[in-house]
Amino acid sequence: MSRLPAQDHHWIDQADPVRFSFEGRNYQGYRGDVLSSALWAEGVRVLGRSFKYHRPRGIYSLAGHDANVIVDDGQRTNIRGDQLLIENGMQLRGVNTSGGLERDRLRWMGMFSRFLPVGFYYKAFHTPRRLFPFFEKQMRKVAGLGAIHPGHAPVASPKDYDFCDVLVVGSGPAGLAAATAAADCGLKVMLVEEQPRAGGSLCWQWTADPVATQLLSEQLAAVQDSPNITLRCETQAAGCYADNWVALVDRRRLTKLRARAIVLATGVIEQPAVFQNNDLPGVMLASAAQRLLHQYAVSPCRRPVIMTANDEGYQLANELADLEIPVAGIVDLRCDADPTTWQNRTTENGIPLFPAHAVYKAHPGRGKKSIKAVTICRLDDSAVPDRRDRQHLRCDGVLMSVGWQPNSALISQAGGRFEYSDELNQLVPSQLPDELFVAGRANGIYGLADQVADGRRAGLAAARQLGTWHQPLPETTLSPERVPSHAYPIFSHPGKKNFVDLDEDVHLADIVNAHQEGYDNVELLKRFTTVGMGPSQGKISNFPAVRILARLNNASIAETGTTTSRPFYQPVPLGHLAGRRFHANRRTPLDQWHRDAAAVMVHAGAWLRPEYYRRDDHSRDELILAEAQAVRDSVGMIDLSTLGKIHVCGPQAVEFLEQVYTGRFKRQRNGTLRYAIALDETGVIIEDGIVARLADDHFYLSATSSGAATFYRGLQRWAIQLGLDVTLSNATGQMAAFNLAGPASRKVLAQLTTADISAEAFPYLAARQVDILDTSALLIRVGFVGELGYEIHLPANQAAAVWEELMQSGQDQQIRPFGVEAQRLLRLEKGHLIVGHDTDALTLPSEADVEWAVAADKPFFVGGRSLQIIAQRPLTRKLVGFRFADQHPGPWPEECQLVFDGTEMVGRITSISRQSTLGHAVAMGFVKPELASAGTKLEVRVSDGSRVVVAVSDLPFYDPQNSRQQLESD
Amino acid sequence: MPYRLLKYGLRSRHPEGRMFRSPASLGDEYDVVIIGGGGHGLAAAYYLAKDHGIHNVAILEKGYLGGGGTGRNTAIIRSNYLTEEGARFYQASVELFQGLSSELDFNLFYTERGHFTLAHSPASLRTQRWRAEVNKTLGIDSHVVDPAFIKQKVPEIDLSCGGHQAPIHGALYHPPGSIARHDAVAWAYARGADRQGVEIHQQTAVTGIELRDDSVIGVHTERGYIKTRKVLSAVAGWTPSITSMVGLRTPLVVHPLQAMVTEPLKPWLNSIIVSASMHVYVSQSTRGELVAGASLDPYELTSMRSTLGFAESLAGHLVDLFPCLPDIKVLRQWAGLCDMSPDFSPIMGTTPIEGFYLDSGWGTWGFKATPISGKTMASTIVADRPDPLIEKFGLSRFRDFQLVGEKGAASVGH
Amino acid sequence: MKILTCPINGPRPIQEFHFGGAFRELPDQSTISDDQWADHVFNREGQPGLQVEWWYHVPSGTWFLAERDTSSDTVHRTFLYQQEDHA
Repeated sequence: MSRLPAQDHHWIDQADPVRFSFEGRNYQGYRGDVLSSALWAEGVRVLGRSFKYHRPRGIYSLAGHDANVIVDDGQRTNIRGDQLLIENGMQLRGVNTSGGLERDRLRWMGMFSRFLPVGFYYKAFHTPRRLFPFFEKQMRKVAGLGAIHPGHAPVASPKDYDFCDVLVVGSGPAGLAAATAAADCGLKVMLVEEQPRAGGSLCWQWTADPVATQLLSEQLAAVQDSPNITLRCETQAAGCYADNWVALVDRRRLTKLRARAIVLATGVIEQPAVFQNNDLPGVMLASAAQRLLHQYAVSPCRRPVIMTANDEGYQLANELADLEIPVAGIVDLRCDADPTTWQNRTTENGIPLFPAHAVYKAHPGRGKKSIKAVTICRLDDSAVPDRRDRQHLRCDGVLMSVGWQPNSALISQAGGRFEYSDELNQLVPSQLPDELFVAGRANGIYGLADQVADGRRAGLAAARQLGTWHQPLPETTLSPERVPSHAYPIFSHPGKKNFVDLDEDVHLADIVNAHQEGYDNVELLKRFTTVGMGPSQGKISNFPAVRILARLNNASIAETGTTTSRPFYQPVPLGHLAGRRFHANRRTPLDQWHRDAAAVMVHAGAWLRPEYYRRDDHSRDELILAEAQAVRDSVGMIDLSTLGKIHVCGPQAVEFLEQVYTGRFKRQRNGTLRYAIALDETGVIIEDGIVARLADDHFYLSATSSGAATFYRGLQRWAIQLGLDVTLSNATGQMAAFNLAGPASRKVLAQLTTADISAEAFPYLAARQVDILDTSALLIRVGFVGELGYEIHLPANQAAAVWEELMQSGQDQQIRPFGVEAQRLLRLEKGHLIVGHDTDALTLPSEADVEWAVAADKPFFVGGRSLQIIAQRPLTRKLVGFRFADQHPGPWPEECQLVFDGTEMVGRITSISRQSTLGHAVAMGFVKPELASAGTKLEVRVSDGSRVVVAVSDLPFYDPQNSRQQLESD
Repeated sequence: MPYRLLKYGLRSRHPEGRMFRSPASLGDEYDVVIIGGGGHGLAAAYYLAKDHGIHNVAILEKGYLGGGGTGRNTAIIRSNYLTEEGARFYQASVELFQGLSSELDFNLFYTERGHFTLAHSPASLRTQRWRAEVNKTLGIDSHVVDPAFIKQKVPEIDLSCGGHQAPIHGALYHPPGSIARHDAVAWAYARGADRQGVEIHQQTAVTGIELRDDSVIGVHTERGYIKTRKVLSAVAGWTPSITSMVGLRTPLVVHPLQAMVTEPLKPWLNSIIVSASMHVYVSQSTRGELVAGASLDPYELTSMRSTLGFAESLAGHLVDLFPCLPDIKVLRQWAGLCDMSPDFSPIMGTTPIEGFYLDSGWGTWGFKATPISGKTMASTIVADRPDPLIEKFGLSRFRDFQLVGEKGAASVGH
Repeated sequence: MKILTCPINGPRPIQEFHFGGAFRELPDQSTISDDQWADHVFNREGQPGLQVEWWYHVPSGTWFLAERDTSSDTVHRTFLYQQEDHA
């Protein structure tokens, strides 16, 4: 057991044990433990297996900067063990093994590593061709980490929004200082911390320092006491987007935060050294060892070697000595011999010191699941290990303190730029947008007091940006006493296994070889070697790779560049991003009536409309035909409330309409309507509908349900750009509409209105306001379905009552509600096109047989000039009707099946109904103009590949004289 | 065969040389200069050399090889397009792709997965049927399937789409639909071209094109001036900057297209799923990541920034389609640039400027055309006449109002 | 998400807006040649840089113009067509 005695500052409660199982074995940890710390305390060293070679892996960063420990809890997968707080009853297993972590059968992959160099899969497996699918399938099986649990369907979590003046990311010494400084200036501060507790490095790096402990408790108290600061722990800032829009992610949900200024005190990411077997359990970052010690009360090793290039390594050595953990030696990469206080203390503690040395190789212990010793070598004048001057040190761990890089992801995303500092051997921010501030080690500031001061500066700078601080800003020093990071803690070994990227098992030789193959810039290198493409997204591998590449290219770090940082900082669950999802459905005022009448509802864009109404045991086809027949024989009513309805008013209303539609309106009499089509600038039909003139300067337009919003928007812009004095108003949702159609429709309507709707008083195409019961409605005589019919447009909140009265009034005429399918059939019998159904994105008026609606000699209308150009070339298709052989037994074509003349594609069916009130099938579609005369015999290829004979037919099929809709007598 | 891997283990020095050279200096003169070192430009160079024996070619790439659209797309390859010209063109590309790993001797991970374009309404199903019929006529394996078939092939899908919106009515199913490793396509063509003498110059931006009497005579670059009589522009999202150098106007507007990827997972999704109305597409790579994208960014922008709204909306649709996904985590999001044409078809071929050839208008549909665009542009450059396969895609079609309407077949994007 | 300032409604999230494309003057129909008209209908500048363009605030139905840098996505100003010189 490696558990240390309890202390106040620990994050675990040793009075509250937690029992869980891992890989089928039972373990015990404490409340506050993460999986990795609990297992390490229990002596478990193999916490995961690497992706490619299945090498055993243990704790490395314990900060979410590596992805060594990935587990599955039976419902969720790809859970990071370093962040998973243990709960009683958890049953966890490592991912991507064959037979468990201990005995992973795929660990033999490592034996073949010399045959599997970087990019090996590009060089093989593709020939012979027929075998590649087999290989690819096998590769898929060994690739991938966790497996999705198919039965598990969690409910996605709701999202929320928040606002603040200053967002501070990171609650280390700099972040805490920045938050309080900004809050003291009266600003609302949101402070977020990805760990479960605030304090950042104060929680693990400085616990042996009483000044630091005091600072932590004071700063935490200040944060808690300030009414202006909201502290959120266990919350990551996953991405920073335009205008300071930040994605905050915690266990439960995504919060979308708008900040006015952002202080990024995100600290640094400790970087590993590269030497042989630098990936085995026991090798870890010094900060991981400190987190284990000071947060989780776990000893990282029994006898470590510390590999360092800075004071922090010595600091750690002394802490271990204080806890009576013997340090086998401090291997210092530096050659300078100017000892600091830290170094003097380690000598006092009797720890052997090896300046100008490097760990060259870690020796695997039994089963390769740990290390048992290291070989260290003196570094020659070129800082290359001299193998002749080597020593063997017994140890069970290597704690690496060789340097850092700023935790830069959010800084980059927010628009910050970096430059490489040779004094620090790290990147530092060089250019920041006005509302972005960086503080602390991310800014290259290392001393504790300096970090606090820099945090305060940043908080005040944010306050100044927002206008609540008007004094000069405190200065902060940028040059450290000593260089904290080593320029090249990377050592080659002929036996390789010196890893640069642990996620992807990329070792140093892979990078050298990739460079040799020509992938010599950082982007190509990354894509070819996959460095930085694994789950930890290069946090501890990108920079070492950049250092190596710079050296191989004989270039500076600045010349070499780095890869781009993209959201997310840590992976974000799809459920958090999805939220509960809001999908709007639009329902008409008659929606409940339709459902009560057993309507089968169908989506029409965002709207729900009745497709047809169920009745007794009749089939869908039977019911649709019956509804259509009712309209032809007597009377039916359809809810058209989804139609677009637009008012156009003003002194230049006529000019406006004549310019946006193809037709003429100047001489249109008040109280009448016209059919109109509208084109886009290229001459393509985009809308059709009616234009009713209600007064000299007041028109009322209809538009298709799906196109209404777009059409209205387009009309508004034309009004502006044409500079016409006209006012538009979109009444689509405000007004309901019905079509009461059939020879008995006048009789039904007459019962509910005192207005004179006789044939003389209210002729075909009349449009007038009338009172229906107590409601003032716009009454329109139209002919879309080819019978005597009235469209009734009225306020939506009065629609249901009027509809019900009409249905009541129509009982003795056997009135029947009809849905979109019946309407489709009725209009198809009349050869009326539906825009977007019979027309497509390129249909011209000449093709759709609506040229009669185009007044080509107008000086200007939208699309007109284009039509002139298009008219210069021959027509390529025409919309026609199609008839089938009487007694055709089937099969029947479906819409969009093609028309053939021999083997040549000459058209397609756009609308078809097998049944009709005429007793035969009817269809419409496109065909080449030279084949468009009535009687031409062609073929349609149906689903089973066979051909059905059709004959071109004139339109309409029903009532070619249009006498039914213009019915002048009852 | 894997025995090829033996050489890596049995030799002490890594046995591979450079895939493509890095010439130290720019020559004075080339027979053809290709602007753009992405898949299309590299493929064109390859076919210029291989099919036509033209080796004195320079590729000028302002960044790194394949760093534009080629390195950012979601690598879906199919030929189930709506127009005859489009379907023929992409089918020729598919056929080239099928043999490409062998031809270039580089594993492109070209993997047939089967491609579904889901229809959520009768109108959408109609469009899919139209595509199927045109495809069938051209011998392309493509047909409409019902929801039961979809569920059988993609058991993890929720046909009701979470119950919130229109359910799945059916789909266009295209068994040859495939995915590939997009970067590898660029590298393999680069090596193929390089081996035939083509010079690839990275980090070499073009700053101007010299004309005399509306004819190309040279190219100005950051590294010097090159004499040439033939220039191919193959830069997709950067096309307007290049065409302006020769005073050419095009209909192209540039919008970002975003994508995202999850953590790697064990095999779960075998097909490529596209939903036309939900504006989402998703597939699973050989590495195990779910690669997903949605519709085009709504406004013009020449910046490859990511937005949270994109990730939210796409995640919402994915979770509606696949209810077991909420705990699966997104690793990374990115974007590329799309040069959008009014009819969703490419703009390729000759131009009114003699010696200036255009490969553009690739919108959200460019990666799948990599091999065929290279091949046809090579033959176009040599003959100084559009290759028959691309005749209808010329820039002049807009002057003549002869659009090639693919809006119903480019899966997402508008 | 990004914020865009509607001249009538003030700063609103970008999702409330619809992009209407680059602003183009309507050419004189009577004098324009076929080639010039096709150019007007189809061709665009397309290059990254400052562009005057149409935007529509959907909830309030407001069309306006914006001067935006299409490479940095910085909006310099927004204004109503009727109020200013827009070329």
